[in-house]
Amino acid sequence: MHPFIVIENLQYVYPLESGEQIVALRDVNLSIERGEFVALIGPNGSGKSTLARHLNALLIPTGGTVWVDGLRTSDPHNVWAVRRKVGMVFQNPDNQLVATTVEEDVAFGPENMGVPAEEIRQRVDEALAIVGLEAYRQYPPQMLSGGQKQLVAIAGALATRPSCLVLDEPTSMLDPVGRRQVLNTIQRLNAEEGITILLITHSMSEAASAQRVLIMNAGTIVMDKPPAEVFAHGAKLQALGLSLPPIVDIAHRLRAEGLPLPPTVLTLQDLVKALCTSA
Amino acid sequence: MHIRVENLTHIYNQGTPLERTALHEVNLEIEAGERIGLVGPTGSGKSTLVQHLAGLLQPTTGRVLLAGTPIHSKGATARSLRLQVGLAFQYPEDQIFEQSVFREVAFGPRNLGLDETEVKARVHWALEMVGLDPARIGPRMPFTLSGGERRRVALASILAMRPRVLILDEPTAGQDPQGRRALWEKVGQWQQETGMTLIIVSHALEELARLVERVIALRAGRVVADGPTREVLSDARLLRDIGLDVPEPVALLQALRQAGKDVRTDRLLPAEAAAEIASAWGLRRAGA
Repeated sequence: MHPFIVIENLQYVYPLESGEQIVALRDVNLSIERGEFVALIGPNGSGKSTLARHLNALLIPTGGTVWVDGLRTSDPHNVWAVRRKVGMVFQNPDNQLVATTVEEDVAFGPENMGVPAEEIRQRVDEALAIVGLEAYRQYPPQMLSGGQKQLVAIAGALATRPSCLVLDEPTSMLDPVGRRQVLNTIQRLNAEEGITILLITHSMSEAASAQRVLIMNAGTIVMDKPPAEVFAHGAKLQALGLSLPPIVDIAHRLRAEGLPLPPTVLTLQDLVKALCTSA
Repeated sequence: MHIRVENLTHIYNQGTPLERTALHEVNLEIEAGERIGLVGPTGSGKSTLVQHLAGLLQPTTGRVLLAGTPIHSKGATARSLRLQVGLAFQYPEDQIFEQSVFREVAFGPRNLGLDETEVKARVHWALEMVGLDPARIGPRMPFTLSGGERRRVALASILAMRPRVLILDEPTAGQDPQGRRALWEKVGQWQQETGMTLIIVSHALEELARLVERVIALRAGRVVADGPTREVLSDARLLRDIGLDVPEPVALLQALRQAGKDVRTDRLLPAEAAAEIASAWGLRRAGA
């Protein structure tokens, strides 16, 4: 079977009014299997969001090809099928909330897809339960805080039952509790429902929870490895303007002091265990 | 500029079924030149409080005084004091409306009636402060920028007003780590040079640990902690209790303590925690 997402030699150029062109993506080659959990990191302006928008045909390549579940996104007949397969959650929830109450907002996607009313109710209940906002279903979204609005946006994407979720910094405005809730939810959707996840994030700790980390720089993918291998390249990450997760940073510093720690240390539990067996 | 918050209560949608008390009898004194971090979970009232400090909301009861003058009093004094408080919103890209980055950042200074040479100088200075190249980014239309870049433009337009009180609501959400470090370095340096008051609302406790000297914690509209940064941010019980994360270095040191290791737990930064562990493991002398 073909991989869920296949990207070949993707290029995206957008013109400016001045006649100048900006090359946002160049030579991007990538394939993502069904059920993978992939994190995408990289400096501001490196093309992460532009790449994400190609995965549900919000943008069409100016060069190269994107296939989603075997459908070529540049074929206009495929656009809606592609959007049903790939749900998007953006950075700023204010721009993606459309209705006057939370439950109507979550119902918006399935309503547009012609899902029967009874099933919509069930999907809305389920989606709100997953993000922990059942108590707010009658609230107008603008009454919620930034973090809660982002949870509504995620519930809205879940209600369309996509097989892949692309989340563009979904946690960057959330408090730690909301952040954990969202990340746990993403992990559960991946592990239990088999939903393919592409998570764009600036949090190295979040990236560490993925199976695979992609690093973008200047419009192309410069690294594609499991987290432990990515974070072993501390100097390269810093050269790209990225940092290490605090625990990995501490482990690096202790190794530099002469403490023999295994290269697989990623989490607090890993480090405590390694330290307590080394002394 | 001295700020005083007196018995401030804010109730949204009072008298409707959606009534919600966002701030409850808050009292605060903030001295000129203080660097303050404001922390608290979603919905704890942080954004409401900073909007009051900028005079953007009317208190339900209580009041806010800037340099001794009630912020909502009529007349030129209060108006000019309000102009000296710069607030960058949580989603600052929503405040962008001009056709070019230059015009966007120039909007505030032009409204102050500054001459065009001064306006230009301020725009260049402000864009450089946020790490954007004025020659390259200035002529661009804001919507051709990435999300992170747009946030920096919005912040530059606040800085260009040269506020005496700068309030940043989650300023580095969506910024890459290098951009964050550079921004904090410049803002911190400028704060020291000018003695401006800096108030940062953030969940990024490690950044606060590097930058602020005092942390105020809110929960459900009330101040639940107010003290030196190292004290508040290493109080794991308090942080967990109000629904915040414990900084990872502190959590690590606590886990080691629970495993019977003799380590201090008030080390907020990775470098400090590594030094503490190294000395406890006999790799080097304490304090080295």
